Amino acid sequence: MKLLKIKDRHMWTLFVLPGTILLVLVLGFPAFQSILYSIYPEGGGTSYTLNNYSILFSDSVFRQVFGNTVLFVILSVASHLLLGLGVALVLNREIFAKPVFRLIALLPWVVPDVVVGIIWRWMFDPVYGAFNDLLLRIGLISTHVQWLSSPKLALLSVIFVNLWRGFPFVMLILLAGLQSIPRVLYEAAAIDGASRWQLFARITLPSLKKMLVVALALDIVWEVRRFGLIQTMTQGGPGNITEVLSTYIYKQYFQFFRFEYASAVAVIMTAALLMVSLPYIWMISQEE
Amino acid sequence: MVKGFKRKFFSGIEIYGFLILVSIYALLPFIWMLSTSLKTEAEAFRVPPTWIPIKSTLDAYVSMWTKKNFGIYFLNSAVISLATAVLSTFFGALAGYGFSRFVFKGRKFLIGFFLATQMLPGVLLVGPYFKILSKFGLYDTRTGLVIAFLTICLPFSTWMMKGFIDRVPDALDQAALVDGCSRLGVFFRVILPISAPGMVATIIFAFLLAWGDLLWVICLTSTESMVTVTLGIARTVGEFQIIWPMLMAGALMGGMPAIILYLLLQRLLVQGLTAGAVKE
Repeated sequence: MKLLKIKDRHMWTLFVLPGTILLVLVLGFPAFQSILYSIYPEGGGTSYTLNNYSILFSDSVFRQVFGNTVLFVILSVASHLLLGLGVALVLNREIFAKPVFRLIALLPWVVPDVVVGIIWRWMFDPVYGAFNDLLLRIGLISTHVQWLSSPKLALLSVIFVNLWRGFPFVMLILLAGLQSIPRVLYEAAAIDGASRWQLFARITLPSLKKMLVVALALDIVWEVRRFGLIQTMTQGGPGNITEVLSTYIYKQYFQFFRFEYASAVAVIMTAALLMVSLPYIWMISQEE
Repeated sequence: MVKGFKRKFFSGIEIYGFLILVSIYALLPFIWMLSTSLKTEAEAFRVPPTWIPIKSTLDAYVSMWTKKNFGIYFLNSAVISLATAVLSTFFGALAGYGFSRFVFKGRKFLIGFFLATQMLPGVLLVGPYFKILSKFGLYDTRTGLVIAFLTICLPFSTWMMKGFIDRVPDALDQAALVDGCSRLGVFFRVILPISAPGMVATIIFAFLLAWGDLLWVICLTSTESMVTVTLGIARTVGEFQIIWPMLMAGALMGGMPAIILYLLLQRLLVQGLTAGAVKE
């Protein structure tokens, strides 16, 4: 189906350049500025320095926050994948009222982060909240638990909320992937006497590989950047127990006005994020 | 026979049981929000809590609009998000068309650039934005926020629009070009009308991205007249005494546009999100 091509090869500039220039201006330029700030000495001065970075790596709070972020991201993404895959597999079957179930499962992902944070903050209220009330009624706990203010539980509680918030996205992507697997594959394998587990391991999982990578990459990026959820639930407290990089940087900027230090942290965070997502970016851009 | 029986190790009951559990998990917080928003302040602080309000009232909703400036917050969110969405979708459609139809040197690099910008965290940019916007008198203005939101929405809109335009056969372009249409003419008269549903989806998705943001609003505004819905909700967290029915009413109204728009556009949303990710 090779049609005759009109010679207007250079017209791509007209379409691609406006957006590219806009992106460089509103995004590339400030990003570059941030890198510059990060090598300015704190509190003013003229010569460039790597001091902000050396302060950062010897800062025990930074190390704790970095660790929190890693834990938050890994547990969030892993739980999203597990529950998301589970629900997607079930919803891919012939079941009653499928659209209704899919709709309900999508809801947590649809509302703004801030709304999620505030609802759950109120859910988790030790005395007046619904969560303790429910668990007390079922008999799973016998006293009012301080979900968000106990140092032992706070981070896990936040991750639990993030599971609620994020699993629908993975479900949505994987469901789309499942629906594109040809039914014939299963029928043929079933005739050959394959067990359900074999069908899953030999057909379903390999066919989902691409979608799993997409879901994983996007989810990691989103969870690293998660801000509104934590800001409305705990603001990083108690202490620094639930502080993640994004809330930490925000505080350093706008509460302590340590612009140079905050920039250095942001640069490190961005570098880590790009390192994780570069394989994905490369994969997609090569295919295009 | 035994084998065929064994194959069904998840029976119907277990599946529906699982689905019902997941549904309860997904829905309970929403029910709690709705229930609280209908309570009086006194009833919200009852021990043990009531799930169905003893005395239902819409007072909390009325108070949000009359005693708090929720009207202003709502208007700010709507205006800023809509402007961002339209701008980013327009530029996104242009770039998306360019990426979809032309093969040129550096194309892969530029696609990689657009993708990479989508990964950058907002916290890398808020500091410089604060300084730059202040310098140009755009700090604490709606215009400043629209510019800032373009950083989130433009890469996304480009990607989504490219996905939709990829579905329009190139033969249409060629036919129009042969008939004497210019490239721009093809874009505006052929491509945009055909991908109108995709554009609507992109506008709505960009709108919701901007609508749901807290980071930029909290960093780039300072006065009451610039507060958006998300900031209005988040700010109450620091308050000494939280009036939960009002806050839940605010949260419900702040989440409503998103819920309604997503439900209307479920199918297009999935298409847009997975465009480029799956090839048919």
